[in-house]
Order: sequence, then C-alpha cells, then structure tokens
Amino acid sequence: MPETPPATPDGRAPGVRISGLSVVYRTPAGELPAVSGVDLELPPGTITGVVGESGSGKSTLALSLLNAVQPPGRISAGSVEIDGLGDVVALRGEELRRARGRHVGYVFQAAQNSLNPLKTVGKQLLDLGRSHGVRDLRALVREARELLGRMGLDGARVLDSCQHELSGGMRQRVGIMFALVLNAHLVVLDEPTTALDMITQATILRIVREVHAERGLTTLVITHDLGVVAEVADRLAVMYGGRVVEQGPTRDVLADPRHPYTRGLLRAVPRLTGDIGEARALPGRPPTLGTIPADGCVFRERCPLRMDACETGRPPAVAYGARSVSCHAAAENRAGPEDGGPGTAAGDRDGEDGAEARGGEEVAAGAREEQA
Amino acid sequence: MITGQGITKTFRQRGAVLGGREVRALRGVDFAVGKGGAVSFIGESGCGKTTLGRIVAGLESHDSGEIAIDGVPMSSLRPRARRPYFRRIQLIHQDPYSALNPTRTIHQALAAPLALRARQTGRPGSWIDERAGELLGLVGLDPGYVLPRYPHQLSGGMRQRVVIARALTVDPEMLVADEAVSMIDVSLRLGILALLRDLRERLGVSVLFITHDVATARYLGDDGELYVIYRGRVVERGPVEAVVSGPVHPYTQSLLSAIPVLHGLEEPGAQRVVPTEPLDEGGPDAGCLFARRCPFATGRCTAEVPVLGAAGGFPQEHACFHPERRSVVAAPAGRA
Ligand SMILES: Nc1ncnc2c1ncn2[C@@H]1O[C@H](COP(=O)(O)OP(=O)(O)OP(=O)(O)O)[C@@H](O)[C@H]1O
Ligand SMILES: Nc1ncnc2c1ncn2[C@@H]1O[C@H](COP(=O)(O)OP(=O)(O)O)[C@@H](O)[C@H]1O
Ligand code: SF4
Ligand code: SF4
Ligand SMILES: [Mg+2]
Ligand SMILES: [Mg+2]
Repeated sequence: MPETPPATPDGRAPGVRISGLSVVYRTPAGELPAVSGVDLELPPGTITGVVGESGSGKSTLALSLLNAVQPPGRISAGSVEIDGLGDVVALRGEELRRARGRHVGYVFQAAQNSLNPLKTVGKQLLDLGRSHGVRDLRALVREARELLGRMGLDGARVLDSCQHELSGGMRQRVGIMFALVLNAHLVVLDEPTTALDMITQATILRIVREVHAERGLTTLVITHDLGVVAEVADRLAVMYGGRVVEQGPTRDVLADPRHPYTRGLLRAVPRLTGDIGEARALPGRPPTLGTIPADGCVFRERCPLRMDACETGRPPAVAYGARSVSCHAAAENRAGPEDGGPGTAAGDRDGEDGAEARGGEEVAAGAREEQA
Repeated sequence: MITGQGITKTFRQRGAVLGGREVRALRGVDFAVGKGGAVSFIGESGCGKTTLGRIVAGLESHDSGEIAIDGVPMSSLRPRARRPYFRRIQLIHQDPYSALNPTRTIHQALAAPLALRARQTGRPGSWIDERAGELLGLVGLDPGYVLPRYPHQLSGGMRQRVVIARALTVDPEMLVADEAVSMIDVSLRLGILALLRDLRERLGVSVLFITHDVATARYLGDDGELYVIYRGRVVERGPVEAVVSGPVHPYTQSLLSAIPVLHGLEEPGAQRVVPTEPLDEGGPDAGCLFARRCPFATGRCTAEVPVLGAAGGFPQEHACFHPERRSVVAAPAGRA
C-alpha cells in the first residue's frame, strides 16, 4: 500500500530529475519518437509507478535512466540528473558501465527469462562481481544469500540452481537480488509481475515495498497494470504515445483522474465488485511508433472530449497542486474546484456515461473503430 | 453439452535433475458446460488449468475419467471417430502474436480452414470469401481493412479477434480460452471479453475460460460459473457472483485477497487471507491439499480428504471442513 515515503536517514536514496527527455528509433520512415519531451521527477526515497499500454514508451524511458538505449534508438534531447552521478545522458564508456549496477539496479522486462539458461545463478553472480571489479567475492555471495533469504528463498539452493529449476516468481526475486547486490540505491523494475499469478504477484509486490523501505531506495516500477502501481507506488505517471499525460500522488490520480486517457483506462479495468455494465473498453487502439501523431494531442483519436485546440500544438502540462495534467480540457476545467474530490470526478464520469452507448452491438462497433 | 467426470492426469518427468518426479496435474475433475454456457477456471499457475483445457480440446490425453460430448462418451469411440467431436471444440491461447503465421495475410489464414469447410459441406468456392468477411464482422473487425494485412500490421486486440474468427471457421460449439486476454492491452481487454459473451448469446457457443485474473470471469455474462482449482482438484464452484462476493474456501479467499486494490478508489476487504506458505506442488497428498498453507487448518484437515459438496447451505459448492464467508474483496471507497 502506498504510504508516506520512508525517511532515508543516511540520505543514500538519490533523487532523479528527467527533463525534456526524447528518445527516437531509426525506422525506414525516418527517426520516430518513442519518448517525447518527458518531464518526471523521482523524489528520493519514493516509489514511482509508470503505467501505460504496450508501445507507450515505458521500457524506453526506463532504459534512459541508465543511458542504455540501444541503436537503432538514441536519446535525442533532454537530461536525466541523478544525485551523485550527474546527467547520465552525458556519461560515456567506463563511467557509464560502472554507474550501471553500482548506482542504478535494473530488473529487465521478462526477467523470468533473462537469466543465462546454462549457468547457475551463483556463477552468474560471480560474473557480475568480476565485471564490476568486486574484490571480495565471498562477501558478494553472502550478500546475495542474505537478500534471497530476505525474499523468502533458500539462498544457497537458489545460487546452485539454473533458470529452469526456478519458478517464475523465484526468477523474479533473483532478478531483484541482481539489481540490489552491488548496493545500488536507485532501482528500476520493468514489469516485475507480468505473467505471474495473483498470489505470486502479491508476494513480489510486498517484497518490493519492504526491500525499498529497508534499504532506503528510490524505486521506479514500470507496468501496464494499474493494480500494480496502486499497490506499490507513492506517485504515478501515466504514459500514452511516448508522453506523460498525467502524474501525481497515486491515490489522487486514482480517486480523481483528470486526463481523459487515465479515466478511460481506469474504467476499462475489469473489477471484482460493482456494476460490470459501467466498465468498457476504450474505442480505437493504442498508437504505435508510426501512428503517433506528430502534432497535437497524442490521445485525440480516442478522446471523447476532443476539440479544435487538440489538433495542433501540444497540450501543456498544467499543475493542480501535486498533480500535473497535459490536456486542453483539463486546463479549461481549471476554474473548477482546485482539488475536486471524488464527487467531482464521479459527476464527470456520469456525464460521459450518459453520452455513450452500451451493449454487445456497441462493443462490436467500438472495436471496429480500432482500424480508424 | 460437454461434461467431464473424474478426469485425472499425471505427468512423469524423466529429467535427470528431478529424478523422475511425478506431477499430478489433475486429480479427478468433474465439470459440465451447457450449450452457450460459460465456465471459468481460476487458480495459481501450475494448478492444472492448461492441462484441463488441452484435454477438453482433445489435444492431450487423460489417464482416467470420461469426457462426453452431447452425451457420447469419448472412450466409446475409436480415435478417428472422436475427431469430428473434438473439431467442434477450439482452443484459443494466450499469445495472439504466435498464433498466426507471420508470412500469411489474414485472408490466407482464414481461407485455408474455410476451403476445407466448403469441401466438407459441399459449398461453392465463392462462399469462402463471403464467410471470411462475415466472421470478421462478427468479431468486430472491418474485413476490407483486415483481410489483406499481415499479423504484424494489427494490434494485439485485433489479432486476438482474428484468432477467434479463425476458430469460428469450423462452426465450433465451444471455445476453450486459455489466458486469452492476459496479453491484450488493458484498454482493449473488455472488448474481447464482451465479444466472447456476445458469441455465447448470439451463436450459442459455449466458453471454457481459463484465467488467473478472477475479475475477467465476471465479464462473460452473469449466468457464468466459476471453478476454483488447486493442485488438480476443484475446491470451490458456483455462480461467478456468488463465489466472488462470498467465497467460503480459504484457497479462493487467498486468490481473491491477492488482487491489487486500487487505493483511492477502493478499500481492501477487511478479512484478507494470506497463505502461510508458498505453493509447493510436491507437498503431501494426504487430507486437504491446501492444509499446509491454510491459516485455518485443524487436525481433521490433514487426516481426511474434504469432498466437493454443498455442506453449510451456501449458494456454491466447496471442499472445506471449515467453510466460512469472509470479506476479502476490495469494495468501492466511501460508498460502503
Ligand atoms: N529497437 C527498436 N527499434 C525500433 N522501434 C523500437 C525499438 N524498441 C522499441 N521500439 C518502439 O518504441 C515504442 C516504445 O517501445 P517500448 O518498448 O518503450 O514500449 P513499452 O511501453 O515498454 O511497451 P510494452 O508494454 O510492450 O513493454 C514502440 O512503438 C516500439 O515499437
Ligand atoms: N507436458 C508436460 N510435462 C510435464 N509436466 C507438465 C506438462 N504439462 C504440464 N505439466 C505440469 O502439470 C502441472 C499443471 O500444469 P498446467 O496445466 O500448465 O497448469 P496451469 O495452466 O494451471 O498453470 C504443472 O506442475 C506443470 O508443470
Ligand atoms: S488535449 Fe484534447 S484530445 Fe487530448 S486528451 Fe485533452 S481533450 Fe482529449
Ligand atoms: S479443509 Fe481445512 S485446511 Fe483445507 S481449506 Fe478447509 S480449513 Fe483449510
Ligand atoms: Mg516494455
Ligand atoms: Mg496455464
């Protein structure tokens, strides 16, 4: 559960400031932006969740924190300032390699399958230690065993195992161990629970929260699952088409989403309670690199509130207290209550409901719009 | 109508590392799916869901028990004679990306099974394209747009619709959907679920729906049934809403308690249940299989095997000696 960020008495948890970050991939159609002008701050000691659908640029953004975007991709603009490291976009070669692992720990998407299938976890740990010039490899192994034990595993056994002898949930914990074992205090987890069942997911999320607090970390969790950020993150950033369209304290964003995409996404999540008739898919489909509009609002093809202003220029990020929202409609509503509670949001939602169609036929019609 | 009775399946792994370990994937599963019905199976990974789905689709053998299709026991037929029965059951699996051949257009993907169908039913060749268009329309796709395209040119949601359309080419009576929406983007997921519901209502296709995301099971229609499976045994089953809103088996309660709470929008259930131990497929086989992890286990639970039944007057069946309704599911915030 998102609680107040833990105090970091020794001040080891670094803050991160991402400013104006753009990342492009070279394609036959030219260089296209996967991440475009992203401003995002990770306050020291907090867990930030980045949520977005496939192709929205989450992994690309996360890789930028290590300046690890691979060709045909490159960071084309902006900076990533990490306390104690400076602007990692400017780092090169050996400096950069050392920063990875020592300062920034990274658990890759599909970490379940990213281990070397032929080597035991222990051997891979020694490889990691050597490549970072760790002198005391015994201490490294001890630290790894402790971390694994902390996460409810038999450390010695796991270090002796190969990937295929571990379940998905165990592999994910091994990934977290690798990210932390060199004592990094900034940790990036890309889809830490995708493809795990609910009970295993709940266990991993609990471990992420606990380890975060105990070790005094700054953590970034990337996920397509709103439930995951809701469980772990203090702050939430919603990405769409390479841009952060809304960000703020997790509870505020969930209780009172201001961006039409955040609202649509929340309404599309199948829920356990409540009237299932209220839930529906968003019309249209998420953009891909080639179909992200170059100008205007990236969400307009699917937006129920689209207006003339949305066709050109980029909706500026407007602050509402601790929240920031990039939408012309949200900006117009600004005259309304500054911190409009759930009441306001519910009112808005009812309004949209009334205007929308329901039922199976309409669902099919909505799906047809996917091609639009 | 498709029924299964006492279905068992044991896998024997010969791997040197594990020394010939046996996995009892299914330990006597009974189920019944009526025409146009929806039955959902939920459970942790490794509990036997996929194995059951594959057996029902005729893609895997079982060790004992009986599958009957429209009252005909499959064990009474030779393998050849079973084939037309199993052809009426189509499996749709998790990954819409690998299900379609990347080198063939959607038109080619649909025309091949339709050509076979045309021969079988003595229809003219012109029927093939007509039917392909019809089926795409049925799954909510525009044939003009989709037919000439290759799979990589479609979104995941569109691809999964194409996979479903392809399954429909053989006029199936049942779709077995194994994690069929878990790889679909959240904004499109409800669309696929609504499509499955729609196929039930309009064509009377029945759906066997396999998932670890319980909430999705609610969207197949309010007459759906939910089966909770643990280590190859059904531990609770009943109408979806009854099981979700009032689960009585501690394992079901653990599954539901693990579902993330949208803090800010929802309040967590007051009596969430957390298993005392992680899943261990090789645990002891005596008594209740969940006893080792169950916070409410008593001496009786390790001595006797609880049998699935209606004891206690709940709307659902369960296999627990100490069934009790617990409030484990998140409720909308501020609207108690
Ligand atoms: N190596 C590459 N070459 C070309 N395009 C790429 C490359 N890697 C990513 N992209 C494109 O950049 C965009 C963002 O990709 P990214 O992997 O960051 O998305 P994501 O949000 O992490 O998606 P997912 O949820 O599927 O992991 C996508 O349109 C993707 O197709
Ligand atoms: N072909 C196979 N060979 C050996 N073991 C298998 C095979 N298929 C499944 N199993 C085992 O059977 C059990 C049930 O698996 P499965 O039906 O895939 O579960 P689920 O779909 O619920 O995750 C697991 O322990 C799995 O490892
Ligand atoms: S800027 Fe316009 S199109 Fe974009 S989300 Fe806001 S109202 Fe919709
Ligand atoms: S029978 Fe006993 S051990 Fe099994 S679920 Fe019920 S209370 Fe728990
Ligand atoms: Mg990714
Ligand atoms: Mg499975």
